[in-house]
Amino acid sequence: MAVTETDHIQEDLMSRLDSAVSEVFEMMLDRNCTPLTTEVDINEWITARIRFSGAITGECLVYASQTVAQVAAEALLGTISDPSDPMVDDAVGELCNMIAGGWKSKLDPNAAVTLISVPAITRDPVLAPHSGITYNRCYAFQGNVFGVSLAF
Amino acid sequence: MRALIIDDSAVMRKVIERALRQAGLELLEVVQASNGEEALQALRADKGVASPIALIMSDINMPVMDGLQFLETRRDENLAPGVPVVMITTEGSEPFVLRAIAAGAQGYICKPFTADQVKARVLPLLNAA
Repeated sequence: MAVTETDHIQEDLMSRLDSAVSEVFEMMLDRNCTPLTTEVDINEWITARIRFSGAITGECLVYASQTVAQVAAEALLGTISDPSDPMVDDAVGELCNMIAGGWKSKLDPNAAVTLISVPAITRDPVLAPHSGITYNRCYAFQGNVFGVSLAF
Repeated sequence: MRALIIDDSAVMRKVIERALRQAGLELLEVVQASNGEEALQALRADKGVASPIALIMSDINMPVMDGLQFLETRRDENLAPGVPVVMITTEGSEPFVLRAIAAGAQGYICKPFTADQVKARVLPLLNAA
Protein backbone atom coordinates (compact mmCIF):
# COMPACT_ATOMS: atom_id res chain seq x y z
CA MET A 1 0.00 0.00 0.00
CA ALA A 2 1.35 3.44 -0.94
CA VAL A 3 2.39 5.80 1.84
CA THR A 4 0.41 9.01 1.56
CA GLU A 5 1.21 12.55 2.65
CA THR A 6 -1.35 12.12 5.43
CA ASP A 7 0.56 9.08 6.68
CA HIS A 8 3.76 11.11 6.78
CA ILE A 9 2.07 13.90 8.72
CA GLN A 10 0.62 11.45 11.21
CA GLU A 11 3.95 9.67 11.62
CA ASP A 12 5.70 12.98 12.21
CA LEU A 13 3.13 14.16 14.76
CA MET A 14 3.26 10.91 16.68
CA SER A 15 7.05 10.73 16.58
CA ARG A 16 7.24 14.14 18.20
CA LEU A 17 4.60 13.07 20.72
CA ASP A 18 6.59 9.92 21.58
CA SER A 19 9.64 12.05 22.17
CA ALA A 20 7.75 14.54 24.35
CA VAL A 21 6.18 11.79 26.47
CA SER A 22 9.51 10.03 26.91
CA GLU A 23 11.23 13.25 28.02
CA VAL A 24 8.55 14.08 30.58
CA PHE A 25 8.70 10.66 32.19
CA GLU A 26 12.47 10.41 32.11
CA MET A 27 13.14 13.88 33.49
CA MET A 28 10.27 14.35 35.92
CA LEU A 29 9.41 10.80 37.05
CA ASP A 30 12.73 9.04 36.46
CA ARG A 31 10.87 6.35 34.52
CA ASN A 32 11.19 4.96 31.02
CA CYS A 33 7.97 5.34 29.08
CA THR A 34 7.43 3.72 25.70
CA PRO A 35 4.64 3.77 23.10
CA LEU A 36 2.49 0.68 22.63
CA THR A 37 1.63 -0.69 19.21
CA THR A 38 -1.98 -1.39 20.17
CA GLU A 39 -4.63 0.61 21.98
CA VAL A 40 -5.66 -0.59 25.42
CA ASP A 41 -9.04 -0.15 27.10
CA ILE A 42 -8.73 2.16 30.08
CA ASN A 43 -11.43 2.11 32.74
CA GLU A 44 -12.30 4.64 35.46
CA TRP A 45 -10.67 7.45 33.55
CA ILE A 46 -9.07 10.56 34.83
CA THR A 47 -8.66 12.83 31.84
CA ALA A 48 -6.67 16.04 31.51
CA ARG A 49 -7.27 18.36 28.58
CA ILE A 50 -5.08 21.15 27.22
CA ARG A 51 -6.35 23.33 24.40
CA PHE A 52 -4.13 24.79 21.67
CA SER A 53 -4.96 28.13 20.10
CA GLY A 54 -3.18 30.44 17.70
CA ALA A 55 -1.09 28.89 14.93
CA ILE A 56 -2.50 25.49 15.88
CA THR A 57 -6.08 24.90 17.00
CA GLY A 58 -6.82 21.66 18.78
CA GLU A 59 -6.23 19.85 22.00
CA CYS A 60 -4.14 17.30 23.83
CA LEU A 61 -5.77 14.76 26.14
CA VAL A 62 -4.01 12.53 28.64
CA TYR A 63 -6.16 9.81 30.16
CA ALA A 64 -5.36 7.14 32.70
CA SER A 65 -7.12 4.85 35.12
CA GLN A 66 -7.28 6.06 38.70
CA THR A 67 -4.73 3.40 39.67
CA VAL A 68 -2.23 4.42 37.00
CA ALA A 69 -2.81 8.10 37.76
CA GLN A 70 -2.01 7.39 41.39
CA VAL A 71 1.23 5.59 40.43
CA ALA A 72 2.23 8.51 38.21
CA ALA A 73 1.45 11.02 40.96
CA GLU A 74 3.57 9.07 43.42
CA ALA A 75 6.46 8.93 40.96
CA LEU A 76 6.20 12.67 40.33
CA LEU A 77 5.90 13.66 43.98
CA GLY A 78 8.04 10.97 45.54
CA THR A 79 5.36 10.34 48.15
CA ILE A 80 2.46 7.95 48.49
CA SER A 81 -0.94 9.35 47.63
CA ASP A 82 -4.56 8.23 47.88
CA PRO A 83 -6.53 7.64 44.63
CA SER A 84 -9.10 10.23 45.68
CA ASP A 85 -6.44 12.80 46.62
CA PRO A 86 -6.86 15.97 44.50
CA MET A 87 -3.09 15.84 43.98
CA VAL A 88 -3.65 12.80 41.73
CA ASP A 89 -5.85 14.84 39.39
CA ASP A 90 -3.39 17.71 39.60
CA ALA A 91 -0.52 15.38 38.65
CA VAL A 92 -2.36 14.13 35.55
CA GLY A 93 -3.02 17.74 34.60
CA GLU A 94 0.65 18.63 34.94
CA LEU A 95 1.70 15.60 32.90
CA CYS A 96 -0.70 16.73 30.17
CA ASN A 97 0.65 20.27 30.42
CA MET A 98 4.25 19.15 30.03
CA ILE A 99 3.48 16.66 27.25
CA ALA A 100 1.50 19.28 25.30
CA GLY A 101 4.17 21.91 25.88
CA GLY A 102 6.96 19.51 24.96
CA TRP A 103 5.17 18.45 21.79
CA LYS A 104 4.59 22.08 20.84
CA SER A 105 8.24 22.94 21.41
CA LYS A 106 9.27 20.28 18.88
CA LEU A 107 7.33 21.92 16.05
CA ASP A 108 8.87 24.44 13.71
CA PRO A 109 9.15 27.99 15.11
CA ASN A 110 6.07 29.29 13.28
CA ALA A 111 3.85 26.49 14.55
CA ALA A 112 5.32 26.91 18.02
CA VAL A 113 3.65 30.35 18.25
CA THR A 114 0.69 28.60 19.74
CA LEU A 115 -0.88 29.25 23.13
CA ILE A 116 -1.76 26.41 25.44
CA SER A 117 -4.50 26.57 28.04
CA VAL A 118 -4.25 25.59 31.67
CA PRO A 119 -5.25 21.93 32.10
CA ALA A 120 -8.86 20.96 32.75
CA ILE A 121 -9.37 17.70 34.65
CA THR A 122 -12.39 15.46 34.63
CA ARG A 123 -13.35 11.99 35.81
CA ASP A 124 -16.07 11.86 33.18
CA PRO A 125 -15.79 8.53 31.29
CA VAL A 126 -17.49 9.84 28.16
CA LEU A 127 -14.98 12.61 27.54
CA ALA A 128 -13.83 12.66 23.94
CA PRO A 129 -11.82 15.16 21.91
CA HIS A 130 -13.86 18.11 20.66
CA SER A 131 -11.97 18.52 17.42
CA GLY A 132 -12.12 16.66 14.11
CA ILE A 133 -9.05 14.57 13.28
CA THR A 134 -7.80 12.61 16.28
CA TYR A 135 -4.59 10.68 16.78
CA ASN A 136 -4.47 8.29 19.73
CA ARG A 137 -1.59 6.40 21.25
CA CYS A 138 -1.14 4.38 24.42
CA TYR A 139 2.06 4.41 26.45
CA ALA A 140 3.40 2.27 29.29
CA PHE A 141 5.79 2.91 32.17
CA GLN A 142 6.63 -0.06 34.36
CA GLY A 143 3.55 -1.88 33.07
CA ASN A 144 1.24 1.04 33.77
CA VAL A 145 -0.72 2.05 30.66
CA PHE A 146 -2.17 5.43 29.84
CA GLY A 147 -3.34 7.16 26.67
CA VAL A 148 -2.65 10.41 24.86
CA SER A 149 -4.81 11.96 22.14
CA LEU A 150 -3.99 14.83 19.84
CA ALA A 151 -6.98 16.33 18.08
CA PHE A 152 -7.12 19.12 15.47
CA MET B 1 16.34 31.67 53.04
CA ARG B 2 12.74 32.19 52.01
CA ALA B 3 11.49 31.46 48.50
CA LEU B 4 8.29 32.28 46.65
CA ILE B 5 7.02 29.56 44.31
CA ILE B 6 4.24 30.53 41.91
CA ASP B 7 2.40 27.79 40.02
CA ASP B 8 -1.27 26.91 39.68
CA SER B 9 -0.39 23.26 40.25
CA ALA B 10 0.20 22.25 43.88
CA VAL B 11 2.02 19.19 42.57
CA MET B 12 4.43 21.34 40.60
CA ARG B 13 5.03 23.66 43.57
CA LYS B 14 6.09 20.61 45.58
CA VAL B 15 8.29 19.31 42.76
CA ILE B 16 10.02 22.70 42.43
CA GLU B 17 10.51 22.95 46.20
CA ARG B 18 12.06 19.48 46.23
CA ALA B 19 14.39 20.45 43.36
CA LEU B 20 15.50 23.57 45.25
CA ARG B 21 16.26 21.52 48.35
CA GLN B 22 18.14 18.99 46.21
CA ALA B 23 20.16 21.92 44.84
CA GLY B 24 21.35 22.51 48.40
CA LEU B 25 19.23 25.52 49.29
CA GLU B 26 18.35 25.76 52.96
CA LEU B 27 14.75 26.85 52.65
CA LEU B 28 13.41 28.14 55.94
CA GLU B 29 10.05 28.90 54.37
CA VAL B 30 8.43 28.41 50.99
CA VAL B 31 5.70 30.95 50.29
CA GLN B 32 3.25 29.47 47.80
CA ALA B 33 1.07 31.28 45.29
CA SER B 34 -1.22 29.74 42.70
CA ASN B 35 -1.23 32.75 40.36
CA GLY B 36 0.43 36.11 39.80
CA GLU B 37 -2.10 38.07 41.83
CA GLU B 38 -1.49 35.94 44.93
CA ALA B 39 2.23 36.34 44.38
CA LEU B 40 1.97 40.14 44.24
CA GLN B 41 0.00 40.10 47.50
CA ALA B 42 2.72 37.97 49.07
CA LEU B 43 5.43 40.40 47.96
CA ARG B 44 3.47 43.43 49.18
CA ALA B 45 3.04 41.73 52.57
CA ASP B 46 6.75 40.90 52.60
CA LYS B 47 7.89 44.53 52.60
CA GLY B 48 9.89 45.39 55.69
CA VAL B 49 10.12 41.88 57.15
CA ALA B 50 13.39 40.86 58.77
CA SER B 51 14.08 37.98 56.40
CA PRO B 52 12.48 38.82 53.06
CA ILE B 53 11.87 36.50 50.15
CA ALA B 54 15.21 35.95 48.41
CA LEU B 55 14.19 33.87 45.39
CA ILE B 56 11.13 33.78 43.13
CA MET B 57 10.28 30.80 40.91
CA SER B 58 7.31 31.41 38.62
CA ASP B 59 5.23 29.56 36.07
CA ILE B 60 3.84 31.56 33.14
CA ASN B 61 0.60 29.87 32.14
CA MET B 62 -1.74 30.43 35.11
CA PRO B 63 -5.35 31.55 35.62
CA VAL B 64 -6.28 34.96 37.14
CA MET B 65 -2.87 36.52 36.43
CA ASP B 66 -0.14 34.83 34.39
CA GLY B 67 3.57 34.91 35.11
CA LEU B 68 4.39 37.61 32.57
CA GLN B 69 1.76 39.98 33.95
CA PHE B 70 3.12 39.22 37.41
CA LEU B 71 6.64 40.18 36.32
CA GLU B 72 5.50 43.43 34.71
CA THR B 73 3.38 44.49 37.68
CA ARG B 74 6.17 43.58 40.10
CA ARG B 75 8.55 45.76 38.09
CA ASP B 76 6.06 48.65 37.90
CA GLU B 77 5.43 48.51 41.67
CA ASN B 78 9.13 47.99 42.42
CA LEU B 79 8.36 44.95 44.54
CA ALA B 80 11.30 42.87 45.77
CA PRO B 81 13.83 44.65 43.54
CA GLY B 82 17.07 42.72 43.21
CA VAL B 83 15.47 39.42 44.08
CA PRO B 84 16.25 36.86 41.35
CA VAL B 85 13.26 35.58 39.40
CA VAL B 86 13.45 32.30 37.50
CA MET B 87 10.63 31.34 35.17
CA ILE B 88 9.84 27.62 35.12
CA THR B 89 7.32 26.87 32.43
CA THR B 90 6.24 24.81 29.44
CA GLU B 91 6.23 28.02 27.34
CA GLY B 92 9.69 27.88 25.83
CA SER B 93 9.14 29.76 22.60
CA GLU B 94 11.20 32.86 21.90
CA PRO B 95 8.47 35.52 22.33
CA PHE B 96 7.75 34.31 25.86
CA VAL B 97 11.42 34.13 26.83
CA LEU B 98 12.15 37.62 25.47
CA ARG B 99 9.13 39.17 27.18
CA ALA B 100 10.05 37.50 30.48
CA ILE B 101 13.62 38.74 30.33
CA ALA B 102 12.47 42.25 29.39
CA ALA B 103 10.17 42.24 32.42
CA GLY B 104 12.93 41.25 34.81
CA ALA B 105 13.34 37.48 34.79
CA GLN B 106 16.96 36.42 35.18
CA GLY B 107 16.55 32.71 34.57
CA TYR B 108 14.38 30.52 32.38
CA ILE B 109 13.77 26.78 32.80
CA CYS B 110 11.52 24.78 30.50
CA LYS B 111 9.34 21.98 31.83
CA PRO B 112 10.09 19.11 31.91
CA PHE B 113 13.25 19.77 33.90
CA THR B 114 15.73 17.96 36.10
CA ALA B 115 16.91 18.93 39.57
CA ASP B 116 20.37 19.47 38.08
CA GLN B 117 18.98 22.05 35.65
CA VAL B 118 17.33 23.92 38.51
CA LYS B 119 20.58 23.90 40.44
CA ALA B 120 22.57 25.14 37.42
CA ARG B 121 20.18 28.06 36.80
CA VAL B 122 19.40 29.11 40.36
CA LEU B 123 22.66 28.89 42.32
CA PRO B 124 24.65 31.35 40.16
CA LEU B 125 21.85 33.90 40.51
CA LEU B 126 21.81 33.58 44.29
CA ASN B 127 25.57 33.80 44.48
CA ALA B 128 25.51 36.98 42.37
CA ALA B 129 22.64 38.60 44.31
